[in-house]
Amino acid sequence: MNPTIGQPLKRVDGWLKVTGSARYAAEFALPKLVHAALIQSPIAKGRLTTLDLAAAKAAPGVIDILTRANGPHFPPYPADLTKPGSPGENRVPLQDDELHWVGQHVGVVIAESLDDARYAVSLVRPDCAAAAPLLTLDDPAAQKNATMPEKWVGTEELQVARGEVAAALAFAPNEYRLEVIYTTPIENHNPIEAYSTTAHWTAPDQLLLHDATRGIKQLQKVVANAFQLPLENVRIVSPFVGGAFGSKGFQWSHTLLAAAAARLVRRAVKLTFTRAQMFDSAGQRAETVQQFAVAAGNDGKLTALHHQTTTHCSPVAEYPEPCGNMSRMLYACPAVEVSHRLVHLNYTTPCPMRAPGEAPGVFALECVVDELAHQLRIDPLQFRLTNYAEEDEFEKKPWSGKRLRECYARGAEKFGWAKRQPAPRSMPAPDGSLLGWGMATAIYPAKQQPAAAHAILSADALLTIRSATHEIGTGTYTTMSQLAAHALGLSLENVHFELGDSQFPQAPVNGGSWLTASVGSAVLAVCAELKKKVVELAGSWPNDIAGLKDALARSDQPQIEAGAKAEPDKEEREKFSFHSFGALFVEVRVDSLGQVRVTRATGVYDVGRILNPRLARSQIYGGIIFGLGMALMEATIPDLQTGRIVNANLAEYHVPVCADIPEFDIDFLDEPDPHMPDLGARGIGEIGIVGAPAAIANAIFHATGKRVRDLPITPDKLI
Amino acid sequence: MTPFTYSRASDPQSAIEGVAANAQAKFLGGGTNLVDLMKMGVETPAQLVDINRLALTQVEELPNNGGVRIGALVRNSDLAEHQLITARYPVLSEALLSGASPQLRNLATTGGNLLQRTRCYYFYDPAFPMCNKRNPGSGCGALEGYNRIHAILGQSEQCIATHPSDMCVAMAALDAVVRVQGPQGERTIPFADFHRLPGATPNIETNLRPNELITAVDLPAMPLATRSHYLKVRDRASYAFALVSVAAILEMDRGTIRSARVALGGVAHKPWRATQAEKKLAGQQPNETTFRAAAEAELAAAKGYKYNSFKIELAKRAIRQALTTVATMA
Repeated sequence: MNPTIGQPLKRVDGWLKVTGSARYAAEFALPKLVHAALIQSPIAKGRLTTLDLAAAKAAPGVIDILTRANGPHFPPYPADLTKPGSPGENRVPLQDDELHWVGQHVGVVIAESLDDARYAVSLVRPDCAAAAPLLTLDDPAAQKNATMPEKWVGTEELQVARGEVAAALAFAPNEYRLEVIYTTPIENHNPIEAYSTTAHWTAPDQLLLHDATRGIKQLQKVVANAFQLPLENVRIVSPFVGGAFGSKGFQWSHTLLAAAAARLVRRAVKLTFTRAQMFDSAGQRAETVQQFAVAAGNDGKLTALHHQTTTHCSPVAEYPEPCGNMSRMLYACPAVEVSHRLVHLNYTTPCPMRAPGEAPGVFALECVVDELAHQLRIDPLQFRLTNYAEEDEFEKKPWSGKRLRECYARGAEKFGWAKRQPAPRSMPAPDGSLLGWGMATAIYPAKQQPAAAHAILSADALLTIRSATHEIGTGTYTTMSQLAAHALGLSLENVHFELGDSQFPQAPVNGGSWLTASVGSAVLAVCAELKKKVVELAGSWPNDIAGLKDALARSDQPQIEAGAKAEPDKEEREKFSFHSFGALFVEVRVDSLGQVRVTRATGVYDVGRILNPRLARSQIYGGIIFGLGMALMEATIPDLQTGRIVNANLAEYHVPVCADIPEFDIDFLDEPDPHMPDLGARGIGEIGIVGAPAAIANAIFHATGKRVRDLPITPDKLI
Repeated sequence: MTPFTYSRASDPQSAIEGVAANAQAKFLGGGTNLVDLMKMGVETPAQLVDINRLALTQVEELPNNGGVRIGALVRNSDLAEHQLITARYPVLSEALLSGASPQLRNLATTGGNLLQRTRCYYFYDPAFPMCNKRNPGSGCGALEGYNRIHAILGQSEQCIATHPSDMCVAMAALDAVVRVQGPQGERTIPFADFHRLPGATPNIETNLRPNELITAVDLPAMPLATRSHYLKVRDRASYAFALVSVAAILEMDRGTIRSARVALGGVAHKPWRATQAEKKLAGQQPNETTFRAAAEAELAAAKGYKYNSFKIELAKRAIRQALTTVATMA
């Protein structure tokens, strides 16, 4: 029996992935499969008056064209998914002729080949009655429709205040006060795998979908509702998802369009986005403008923090990027006001993107903290220690576990922070470029959702565990197998974890970094249940595989099955504030041409127990690289005359390449959170990005003396 | 992609005849740009004549110390690593290796690179109504649009697009000569005359005549071209087009600059030979004052727009930086 928890095990699905044999949504070759391509709105606002399909219909290979004229009547999406503050759209496709952004789906060409379908789309002539689109946050007409949403995804308070903020700001002398505005642009998730749906009606009322989704059960509900089918008549099979980063959840029109197209032509239909459609068709991170007013006393302690966010959403959703959530409690401060304002613009609908709110919000907050520390001539790390929050002052609860001081101390030690010269431009490199050192705090909520699992122990002692969860690249197959092997004393080879099928027991949408705590608990629960059953049969749990086989042989059952559900402990969740923490230190080199290279990144993270350090480290690398992209290069740029995105491709929408990646030194405290379930593991999918943009921006300030408050920090902003 | 027919030529003559036979035909080389533009609907050739089997894949020394001839189908990767290039024209090797990605360089050809089209957003997406390149007379979408990557030198009100190639910037500095073959026979075009400034006809990008095929690029003998550098400024470390680039070659004579060759990329509709800078450098001491004067002279006529004015200062700094690097070479 090998120990599995805490071991740097390789991915159990690594071989499948590197050999190309892992099957992603677009790779299910169904019989008589045909191909679909989307017809999209050419304008940002207005009405579709006619859709001339004659030329497209006559094009080679075209089978039919789905439009509002021949499409199904879809009822509204399930009400619980479209409440204000929820991600995903509230407008089902093809029910009206209104156009809300460039790229909105207005029809689908179905053809024998993908090339035929895409060529036919180019022949469709949409006629539109165009109206003036709203394209900038400061457009007065857009300002008029601004709202102040109460909650984010139904849970987080977006408008909060405690203490006397205005009075504290007024009281502080100028040199102890700072008022600044930070902005972040629209960003797109851009996982390698594009959205793809293959829809196959196996019977008139039975639908099989292969969909690139990280929310199988939720999508099942959306689709069943749209076609008015019993839930079980919609089956979704999706064993691998090629990255999501916040995309591929929620309700988007293409899944329904693919299913409707398949019904129209009575063939299996595959609809895969082009890279350009990854920018305009199913989610992005909204633009943010974040206004800060902060003050501190002469002891360096914060006396007031005001963080006002303005962000945008499409006209057909009410999703705000919750930038201020961590400002509510990351630092001790008696007077805090956080507000969020939502402006509806004619762009595609935003949705969560890796660390929604935290990534742009903590970027801005951690830069503001750095600015104030610099202004007060206090070392930025010392400033954070001075303002250390001993409890969650927003929720007024103790932390479930917070060892941020240790992260700061160990990170500073490993990085060599003590050798930092405080003055900007004080570290020139021999080649004439400037070195800079910066740091930032990372924080991310540690959540848990209800989840269930089913286990089957076969006569040859092979354990199969199933849950309708997802593998989006994070290592679900591996960590869940590890947990089961650990729970039952089996070796990894005897455990087989299955996911990505809506027929499996309930699991939550993959998001919020909660998969491990949620599904992991269900896996451990079902193992305990199974063990109980075996013990009932055999008297005790056998110590080895031979004993287990023997016990199974002596029972009269061909296999033993068990089911279990795990839910968050409500009492614990009430009592404590659950968050992960980290400290990131980076070194940048800025040359005279404004080019920034991040040369070193040292991070220490308090994320509870580490189940698999190899996978955990990969997650943090990925998160920091994601944050590096956000800091230095990522921006989705619309043309402000038309609302059309000018850089909807990976040549011009820049994400980091290998040559941009720094030398990493990543460490974990690896201490279990005593109030998280079971092994005390918290999620790590998102905390890596949080803090990275701020640490880099702060290092650039240290290198150059220039405070760039508008991401991304490209060379033009530094020369 | 608009349907097209495909044929494969076995020699230059039949390739030229194939393209001449159809007014909507184009040569297909590596396809790294043409096929991309066909997918976007910018290029819609009715016929492609594949020239990949033509015997134009050699890099060879010209007789009598006459320089080096590069076949039009020599792939960027092969050219960058070729011993004749790394030894005699390292600036060209550097430029090639700073462009695109290894995968693209493995396919992209020398001749194709000369004909690479602009990355202007308003050109690249036919859904934008205005582009005088795609649709003469329709206007320039970039002029009032998002023009961060656009030209600061030699542009016109009809077009502010830039030429995206790195290779061509080095070739401009090296005074390369383009060899072409057409229905009327062979001729040569000096590099400076190959690409055009936009003027009133930005849709005409080169001085190639109809149905002419690029067969080779000749690099003249240049014994002192090894003291050189290609500097590329970009938004990420690799796989990004140049914001500004500089190819610089200094011929030194006992501590004085005898002659300088400087070309800029990312700033104009064509690879920009910096003749004003060169004049300021010749006969001078290689120092900060000289380099500053050269950079100022070259950019004196520069004009920026809403999002690209930074390129003027960036180009000056890049010129100074590149010259400093070359001057301090052993």
